[in-house]
Amino acid sequence: MIASVDDLHVSLRGNPVLRGVSLSVRPGEILGLVGESGSGKSVLALTLMGLLPPDAHPQVTGTVEVAGVDMMHGSAAAHRGVRRRELGVIFQDPMTSLNPTMRIGRQITEVTRDTDRAVQLLEHVGVADAAVRLRVYPHELSGGLRQRVMTAIAVAGRPSLIIADEPTTALDVTVQAQVLSLLRDLRDEYGCSVLFITHDLAVAAQITDRIGVLYAGRLAELGPTRELLAHPTHPYTAGLLRSRLSLTTPRGRELPTLPAEAGPRGPGCAYHTRCPLAVDRCATEQPPLVGDEHQRACWRDISDMPDGTSAAEPGELGPAVEGSAVVRLHNIRCDFKLRNGWRRAGTLKALDGVDLEVAPGEAVSIVGESGSGKSTLLRVIAGLIPPTGGTREVTGGTQMVFQDAGSSLTPWLTIGELLRERLLPLKLSRAEQDQRVRDALTKIGLPATVATARPRQLSGGQRQRVALARATIVPPAVLLCDEPTSALDASLAASVLNLIRQLRADLGMAVVFVTHDLAVARLMGDRIVVMTGGHIAETGPADDLVSHPQADYTKTLLAAVPEIAI
Amino acid sequence: MIGFLTRRAGAAVAVLLILTAVVFVLQQYSPGDPVKAYLGANASPAAVAAERVTLHLDDPLVSRYGHYLSAAARGDLGTSYRTHRKVTADLGAFLPATFELVVVAFLFALLLGAVFAMLRTIAGTFVRGVLLVGATAPPFLLALGGIILFYAHLGWLPATGRGGNDDGFLLTHSLVTGDWAQFGDGLQHVVLPALVLAVAPAVSIGRILRASLQQTLSADHVRTARAKGLTEVAVFGRHVLRNSIGPGLSMAGLQLGFMFAGVVVVEQIFSWPGIGNYLAESIPAADYPAIAGVTVVLGAVYIVTNTVVDMIQALADPRIAL
Amino acid sequence: MSDAAVVPRRFGVRSRTPAVHNLTLNRVLVGLLGLVTLVALGARLLAPDDPIQPVGDFNLPPGSPGHLLGTDMIGRDLLSRTLWGIQASWLSALAVVLVGLLFGGLIGLVAGAAGGWVDNVLMRLTDLFLALPGVLVAIAIVAALGPGLVHTLLGISIVWWPYYARIIRGEVRALAARPHVEAARLAGASRLRILRRHLLPGTVPTAIVTASLDIGNVVLLLAGLSFIGLGQLAPAPELGADTARALTQLLAQWWVPVVPGIAVMLLSLVANLGGDALRGLLDGRR
Repeated sequence: MIASVDDLHVSLRGNPVLRGVSLSVRPGEILGLVGESGSGKSVLALTLMGLLPPDAHPQVTGTVEVAGVDMMHGSAAAHRGVRRRELGVIFQDPMTSLNPTMRIGRQITEVTRDTDRAVQLLEHVGVADAAVRLRVYPHELSGGLRQRVMTAIAVAGRPSLIIADEPTTALDVTVQAQVLSLLRDLRDEYGCSVLFITHDLAVAAQITDRIGVLYAGRLAELGPTRELLAHPTHPYTAGLLRSRLSLTTPRGRELPTLPAEAGPRGPGCAYHTRCPLAVDRCATEQPPLVGDEHQRACWRDISDMPDGTSAAEPGELGPAVEGSAVVRLHNIRCDFKLRNGWRRAGTLKALDGVDLEVAPGEAVSIVGESGSGKSTLLRVIAGLIPPTGGTREVTGGTQMVFQDAGSSLTPWLTIGELLRERLLPLKLSRAEQDQRVRDALTKIGLPATVATARPRQLSGGQRQRVALARATIVPPAVLLCDEPTSALDASLAASVLNLIRQLRADLGMAVVFVTHDLAVARLMGDRIVVMTGGHIAETGPADDLVSHPQADYTKTLLAAVPEIAI
Repeated sequence: MIGFLTRRAGAAVAVLLILTAVVFVLQQYSPGDPVKAYLGANASPAAVAAERVTLHLDDPLVSRYGHYLSAAARGDLGTSYRTHRKVTADLGAFLPATFELVVVAFLFALLLGAVFAMLRTIAGTFVRGVLLVGATAPPFLLALGGIILFYAHLGWLPATGRGGNDDGFLLTHSLVTGDWAQFGDGLQHVVLPALVLAVAPAVSIGRILRASLQQTLSADHVRTARAKGLTEVAVFGRHVLRNSIGPGLSMAGLQLGFMFAGVVVVEQIFSWPGIGNYLAESIPAADYPAIAGVTVVLGAVYIVTNTVVDMIQALADPRIAL
Repeated sequence: MSDAAVVPRRFGVRSRTPAVHNLTLNRVLVGLLGLVTLVALGARLLAPDDPIQPVGDFNLPPGSPGHLLGTDMIGRDLLSRTLWGIQASWLSALAVVLVGLLFGGLIGLVAGAAGGWVDNVLMRLTDLFLALPGVLVAIAIVAALGPGLVHTLLGISIVWWPYYARIIRGEVRALAARPHVEAARLAGASRLRILRRHLLPGTVPTAIVTASLDIGNVVLLLAGLSFIGLGQLAPAPELGADTARALTQLLAQWWVPVVPGIAVMLLSLVANLGGDALRGLLDGRR
C-alpha cells in the first residue's frame, strides 16, 4: 500500500468532518474520491499530507500512513521527508497555488535542485519553449499552462503518490481534457499512484481505476470504476448518476433531482433523510462499509430502488411564440481598453460582430469557454454594458440572474425589501406589495416568512431561488441567466434548472441562458449558440447541434465533454 | 521606468508649487508683521515702511510669488527675517542633524516593526505590549518619561543636544573617520530622541506587516510550498516574507514622511539643533522665507521617499508594473 | 486525540488569529468611548475648582487634601485643569473626525459611485492633498493664522478629509463591483436609490471603525501642536500646552507636566481600544 487511512476521524473547529474513513491507495492505481462540497474529501487529502491547518484546531483519531510513515504521530521532520520524497500535490486553482512573486523555474528547482531537469520536466508536461518559460512568473501564463507547471512540480520529486485535489475544476473543458490525459500519461510513465479528488463523477470516470464515493465524511461506496458506475449499490451513488445532466438526458421531461437534506444528522446513516429506501434502522444505526472488491455502506438492497424516471408532467418546452423578436442584435462589437497601471496596454475585443435574435418566449442557450464573450453578450442585452458598435434593440424588460446569487443580493437588505424594490414603479399599496411578495416566494417554493430574512441566513440554493423570484415578480420579456447553477452542487443545480423552465412556461418569458456546460445548454435551450473568441462559431436547434455539429470548434468542445460511457 | 520617474517628477513639482503657494497665501492674511521681527520691536514706522519696500512686501502677491519661484529655480530660497542669513545656508546648517536623527529613528522603527510583526515568543508579546501602549502616548510624554528614567534616575543617557560641537553629519563623519569616542557619544545622544520618534511608526509598520503575514500564511501557494516538503524556515523565507513585505514597505514610506514632520516636537524637547527646532523658532517670528524653505525641503523628502518605496515594491512583486 | 498531524509553526505568526469575539469585553470598551464623551461634556460639573484661578499652594503633589492630582506652579487645581483639558481635546478631536468623515465621505461616495471622469477628477484632487505632508500643512496654516484652538482645528480639518475620501471611495468601488449593484440597476432602482440603499449602508461599518480609531490620532496631533505653541491660548486649559509650559519643572515637580500628558495618553488609549472593540463587534455581526 502506498497510503492508507484506517477508521480516520477528523474534526475541525469541533465539527466532525471525517467520521470513520478506511481507504488505501494501491501501487500504480488512480483512485478517485468523489463527493459534494462539505463531504470531507479535501480534508482527507490534507490529512494524508500532514498539513491540516492548525488554526482549525484539528482533532484526529485513527491511523494515517503514507509510504510506511505514520503521518499522525512522529516528528515533523519525518512528515516533511514524506512530503518531499513520496508525495506530489496538485491543487484546484493554479493561479493561487503557485507563488506569484517567484519565477516558475525557481519553484520547480526548489524540488529538483537542477535546472536541466526542470527544463526536461516542463517539456514533459507539454510546455513549449521550456527553457524560456523557466524565467516567467505565474501571472504571465494561461490557466492551462499554470496547471501544467503545477503538475511538473508535483512529479518533480519522483513521488510514489500524487494527490490531485480538484485539479481541473477551475479549467475550461477542453483544457480539462488535456490535463486529465497528461495525468494518466505521467502515472503510466512514473508508475506512481494518484489520488484524484473531484465533485464530478463523469470526470472521475475518465481517468480512475477505482472510485470511492464520500458522503458527509464517510465512504458510501468504494469499487472498481466501471463496475461502480454500471452497477451502483448505494442509493446515493445511484441518485448521483441518475440526476447527472448529460448530453443524453431527455429534454422534454422535468429533470431528475435528489431531494435536499432535511433535518439534523442523527446517529444513523447521514443520507437517510434524502434516501428513497430509508427505513427506521437507517436513522438509528450507522451501516458499516462491507464487501470485498466492491464495498458499500447501506442497510438496504439497491434493487428495491424505485425507478428514477419521474412521471411528472412534461416540461412544456414548446416552440417559440410567433411574432417579432424581443431581442435583436446586429453586428455588436464590444472593446475593453486594457490598462497596465497608467498605460494603455491594448484593446480586448470581447465581442467582435455578433448577430442574435430572440423570439418571444424562446429559450436560447449561449455556450462557450472562459473569455469567449458569452457573459459580455448577456450584459449587452441587459443594457449593463454599452456596445462599442452595432445596433441593439430590446423590446419589453429584461431581468438577470447571476452566477453567484449570494453576491447579487444586497447583504444588508431583507428579501422582502429586495423584492418590493421591483414593485416600486407600479405604485401599489403596501398591502398589495406584501401580497405580491408572498405570491412570488410561494411560486419559487419558499415559505413567505423568508421575506424578513437577510440573504446570508439562506442556503446557496435558496438564494438562487430568491434571485429568480426577484427577477420574475414583475415578469420580464426576457430572463437572462448567467451560469446560475455553476456554483451549486449537482443535486441542487437540477432543481434550480427545473424552476427556471417552470417559470418560463408559466410566465411566457424568453430565456437567454449562458453556460460553459454543453449538456446544460442543450437542456435549457430550444436553440444553442456556440461562442468562441468574441464571435459566434455556430448556432442551431439544441438536439441537432449536439448530434450533428458543423463547426470545428463545436466538435472540439463536444469531444472534450466528459461523459460516463458504460 | 523612465516614464514612471518623469510622472513622479511632474507630481513633485506640482506638490512643491502648491505647498509654497499655500505658505504665500497664508502669509498675506497673517496677522503678524515680519518686518517688526526683522528690525526689532523699537523700529520707527518710517524704517518699517522703507524695509517693506526693500523686501517687496507691498508688491502684489502674484508678483512676489513669481519672484520667489524664479529665485528658487536658481537655488535661492530667500533670506530669513530672523537670522538674517540665506535660508539655504540655514537649512544646510540644520538639515544634517535632523537627517541623522530621522534615519536612526527610521532604522529603529523598521527593527521594532519587524519584531512587532514576527516574534512569537514571550519576548515578542512583551515588546508588542510595550510598543502598543507607547504608541498611544503623545511623543512629548514619552520624551519626558525617557528623560526622567534614563537621565535623571539611571544616568545612562544624556537629555539634550547631539554631543560634540560639530553641527554637520556628526555620526556619519565620526563613523567614516573612525573617531570612535565621538561616534559613541553621538550615538548615546541620538538613542532617546530616535526611540521616541520611532515608537508610533513602529506600531503602524508592525501592524500592517503582521496582518499581511497572516494573510500570506493562509495563502494557497504557501500550502503548496509546505506540500513540497520544504522546511518551515524555507517556507517562511522564500514564500511568505517577500509576498508580505509590500504593504509593510508602503506603510514604512508613509511613516518616514510623517517622521520628518513629527520631528518638530522631539527636537524641541531634546534641544536637537535640527530643522524642526528651526521651524519652531521661525513660526512665532513670522519668518516666512524660513517656513517656506523648510516646507519645500520636507515636501521634497516626502515625495522622494514615496517614489523610492514604490520602486522597491515593484522589485518585490513582479505583478506591479511602474 | 492527537494533533501531531499538524505542522509546528515556529516562524511567523499564526495564519489567522483565533476570532476572540469576547462580546462583553468589546461592549465595555465601546462603552468607554461614550463614557469619555460624557466626562468631556460634563467637565463643568465634574471639576471641583475653577481651572483658571489659583486655589491652593504652589506645586502640591498628587494626593494632597482637596487636590487629588495636586496643583501647578501658580496653585491651580490640576484635576480641574485636566478635566477641562479633556473636554477641549476630546470634543475637538470628535469635531475634526466628524468633519473629515462627512466631507471626505461625501467626496469618496460620489467619486466611487459615479466612476469615470468624476471619479478621476475628485481622486486626483484627493491624491494632491494626500501627497502634501499633512502635519506640515497643518503647522503652516496654524502658523499663518496665528495660534488658537479654532485655527488649529481648521488647519487639521483641511488636511484630514482626504484619508476618508480615499477609504470610503475604495469601499464604494469594491461594493460597486459586486453583482448586487448591477442587480439593483436591472431591478429598476434609480441612481440615488442605489447610492442610498445599495452602497451607502455597506460603507458604514468601515467608516465608523476608521473614525473611532482616528480620534486617538487627532488627540495626539492636537496635543503635539499645542505643545509647540500652536493650540489653545493661555490661560485656557489644554493638555499639550500645559505639559509644555511646565517642562522646566520636570525634574523638580514631575507631576505638573506629566499629569496632563498622561491624560492625553488615556484619551488616545480609549479611542484605540474602543475602535478595535467596535471593529470586533461589527465583524462578529457579519
